[in-house]
Amino acid sequence: MGQIKAGSIAKGTFLLEKDIPFIVVEREFVNPGKGSAFCRLKLKNLRTGAVLKVTHKTQDIVEEIDVIDVASQFLYADGESYHFMNADTYDQYEIPMASMEDMQYFLREGESYKVVRWGEESLDIKLPPKMDLIVTEAEEAVKGDTVQGATKYVKVETGLTVKVPIFIKEGEKIRINVETKEYQERVNN
Amino acid sequence: MNIDYNKLKTRSRLIRGIRDFFNTRDFLEVDTPLLSPELIPEPSIENFRTRLVSPYNDGHELYLIPSPEIWMKQLLADGSGDIFQICKSFRNSEQISPVHNPEFTMLEWYKTGITAEENITLTEELTAHLALPSTPEACRPPFRQMTMEEAFVEFAGFSLEENIEFPALTAQLRAHQIPAGESEGWEVLFHKLFLTLVEPELPQDRPLVLKNYPSRLKTLSKDIPGTPWSERWELYMRGTEIANCYTEETDPVKIREYFRSESLEKTDHALVPVESGSSWVEKLAGFPESSGVAIGVDRLITALTGDKSIQGVILFPLDDILPISKKQPE
Repeated sequence: MGQIKAGSIAKGTFLLEKDIPFIVVEREFVNPGKGSAFCRLKLKNLRTGAVLKVTHKTQDIVEEIDVIDVASQFLYADGESYHFMNADTYDQYEIPMASMEDMQYFLREGESYKVVRWGEESLDIKLPPKMDLIVTEAEEAVKGDTVQGATKYVKVETGLTVKVPIFIKEGEKIRINVETKEYQERVNN
Repeated sequence: MNIDYNKLKTRSRLIRGIRDFFNTRDFLEVDTPLLSPELIPEPSIENFRTRLVSPYNDGHELYLIPSPEIWMKQLLADGSGDIFQICKSFRNSEQISPVHNPEFTMLEWYKTGITAEENITLTEELTAHLALPSTPEACRPPFRQMTMEEAFVEFAGFSLEENIEFPALTAQLRAHQIPAGESEGWEVLFHKLFLTLVEPELPQDRPLVLKNYPSRLKTLSKDIPGTPWSERWELYMRGTEIANCYTEETDPVKIREYFRSESLEKTDHALVPVESGSSWVEKLAGFPESSGVAIGVDRLITALTGDKSIQGVILFPLDDILPISKKQPE
């Protein structure tokens, strides 16, 4: 655990506020016309998912949490928690679903992910910026519908609904931007 | 190089538009020093310091101005009448961001015989004069107006006037789970509440004049007698501060007191200590009743063109020209 100046906080920094672990979801520097330098933060409580908005002077001292990434296999979700298994030690980790909104759209059973651990607690799951997922439900394109930029909605294997170009078919693999949940391109095998 | 010459032409046209606007209203365009041996003490601003060197003597410390205020006010005190200036200004130690570059362009004007309230109309006329066909609705007149007190009641859910004393303000911070040190000054407590609860919620569908700032934020603006407010406003467009305006303080006693207290505060906290000249206070004797506005021109152009970042409308932003990028991680 280390003390850092609030001015060096970045998006994705893990912080301890009032003994609760938070991740920084948004960080913005603000210098009011006639005021000190501040940074405005949106923090996510990693136990409950609740969002906390705070503002620090950039000179304020905050507690950064030392975390480690542990390669772990995703086992299953039970409605309350995601269950993972450490690939080396076979230890099982639980992460409350409440703090990981929409994470299920990017987890595939049996695949390996990085679980962010702080002591005995699992705080977060690190996802790659892009993931390739298979389209499991797609309507056929209507013949003659050749309008440039025409789009439709499809469902992928994890249940996520994505807006895609009209030419995407069931069974194809598409690349999705994890942060925005938007279609990026078709992946040719 | 990756220069967008269409944007450059728009910038040039807008700056010419500013000059036309003030010239047709009989303002005198002035051109005051960017290098100054003394500055107005502003504890919240860090400055750039440099040195005049000489083979014959010790030379002299000089500072790059954070705004042309110190020089323009001397002209006003001397009887210049209405003046405006477009110049570079410099602020150190601010994080480079979509709204900050250490060197930026400032428009500052002073009109005698009017108040901050009357300057709202002039600023609205300027914005109307400059608006482009592509300017988003959110950056076009008419301006919305709201007092600081109204904004606190509406967005923070409490009256700032009724909670303006230290203990009540501290209690509000606690109630909203905003951490604050025990020895924080009033300015910090206020800004933590304002920046967390109020500023992000300000309406963005039109430009917003947020007026009557707390007089406890020390500035060279006039207090509104019998209230905790001062005759100061800030103009916001799409959530970003664009302009700052005062009814200028003319009372020499209050001006001297401002210099005294702010110099002490600046000496205590500044990373770059500056000379804040007491001689300047004397030069302000006879300062006329007037109101001044300072506008961040790069931010204004960004708003009028619908751009997202000032780096898109300035040539060679510092982040691009530093040999090693000092860019903050996102």
